[in-house]
Amino acid sequence: MELFFQRLIDGLAQGSVYSLIALGLVIIYRGTGHLNFAQGEMALFCAYCVYQFGEWGIHVWIALPMGMAVGFMLGALAEVTLVRPISNKSPFAVFIVTLGLFTFLNWLDGAIWGNQNLPNSGVGSKQQSYPSLFPNARDDFWQPFGVTIRYDRAGILLLVLVITALLFLLFNKTKFGLAMRAVASNTESAKLAGIRTNTVLMVSWGLAAAIGAVGGVVIAGLNSNVNLGLMFTVFIYGSAAATLGGFDSPGGAVLGGLIIGVVENMSSGYAQKWIGQDMKLAVAFVVILAVLLIKPSGLFGTAKVERV
Amino acid sequence: MSLLRVSQLRAGYGPVNVLDGIELHVDDGEFVVMLGANGAGKTTTMRAISGLIPRYGVIEFEGHDIHKASADSIVRSGVAQVPQGRGTFPELSVEDNMLAGAYVRHGADGVHDDMHKWFEVFPRLAERRHQRAGSLSGGEQQMLAIARALMSRPKLLLCDEPSLGLAPLITQELFAVLERLNRDERLSVLLVEQNANLALHIANRVYLLETGRIVATGSAEELGADDAIRKAYLGF
Repeated sequence: MELFFQRLIDGLAQGSVYSLIALGLVIIYRGTGHLNFAQGEMALFCAYCVYQFGEWGIHVWIALPMGMAVGFMLGALAEVTLVRPISNKSPFAVFIVTLGLFTFLNWLDGAIWGNQNLPNSGVGSKQQSYPSLFPNARDDFWQPFGVTIRYDRAGILLLVLVITALLFLLFNKTKFGLAMRAVASNTESAKLAGIRTNTVLMVSWGLAAAIGAVGGVVIAGLNSNVNLGLMFTVFIYGSAAATLGGFDSPGGAVLGGLIIGVVENMSSGYAQKWIGQDMKLAVAFVVILAVLLIKPSGLFGTAKVERV
Repeated sequence: MSLLRVSQLRAGYGPVNVLDGIELHVDDGEFVVMLGANGAGKTTTMRAISGLIPRYGVIEFEGHDIHKASADSIVRSGVAQVPQGRGTFPELSVEDNMLAGAYVRHGADGVHDDMHKWFEVFPRLAERRHQRAGSLSGGEQQMLAIARALMSRPKLLLCDEPSLGLAPLITQELFAVLERLNRDERLSVLLVEQNANLALHIANRVYLLETGRIVATGSAEELGADDAIRKAYLGF
């Protein structure tokens, strides 16, 4: 039983990262109907930046908001310069552009930071390991009822829940959130209501990338280093989480991420022999397939039905 | 001085010009109706005035040139459009639709009072204030689209075929509300219609649009008296 809770908590912490990536995808999808393939790589660029800030001696809790600011600017810039000029010409063009951004950012990371794991004493890193947001030494854990709860896992989960709550307030309680929902629902009517739709889209992309940045820093922290391939599987899990939760539902994205994290950990933990590390991705996708067969728009997605 | 003055207006989609020099004006407090067949350019005219598409020529509102202004600043200057089809936000609640309509207003001053006022004019919206707009009937959605436009406190309301797809009784009810708004609130209205009988009863003036040009203008009685026009456009 202790082991069950152990895996549940580890799974939730892992899933939190998928939730953050999925949240970013959902925010952009709701606003524009586009799937941003560069979401993971934007987060990776920010994760590298936070490593760099750490090298300069900046504390991680200050480096994180700085990394988020970098993400915000990166996302907003991508929307204004790359996506907006082509978005009303063809949705496929946007697909290709975000794929291009994906490759470009990965190349850029490699060009700036090289292709080895960082921090790395071989290239003169001052940091021992990637900065963790929460205490993660060997003995940083509680052990209530025999269940080991590591501080960093609990902290990450809490952080994701706080971010989700803040986003909920932004969407539902602020005027800007109302504008975001209006643009997502009907862009032309939003224009006719006097909403600056271009500003809303720019900020949405910025916000999505800033949230993704948190995901990048968290996963690099769990992994204790950052490298060029870090986000590949995380992005796949993140898009799976968004699909599972329903592509237009932020709450669904968070829950989808947590579910996938738990399923991943449970299946590789309990069925080590025949699932193990290699097949756990497949198990997560079988679960998603089962859900989508029953509810094609995802757990919380709205099927587009309209009375005329 | 006219509230809205449009002159030499050309606009279209891509390389194709749908409008070929539109001339029209709406005076303060007037109820103006624009008639025309399918494809004459009625909706394009509305979209050009609201700044949704690129356009050339003169568009003046209260004496200010707005032909290059962005859609949101045109709303801010006091022009609100109810677009063709359902100009609502289907995923948002009725109340949120109304609040989105008040987006251009600064602060929350009087927004809730206004919402209350339009709920009295459209009582069925009040009953459904927490429902998603997409779940309303066609007539209710059209009422919501109008209420949403009114929330910005416009001086000029552009209405693009509000009767489209509605039952005759609902259309009558809708036009009665528009007439009352024009009379009691001194709201100026430019209304586009394909099916004209009802609209002509409340119009001060009528424009006839044909392949991107205004081909006739006058009072409802004048146009109704012209046999050729009556047969072609009014169907009686």
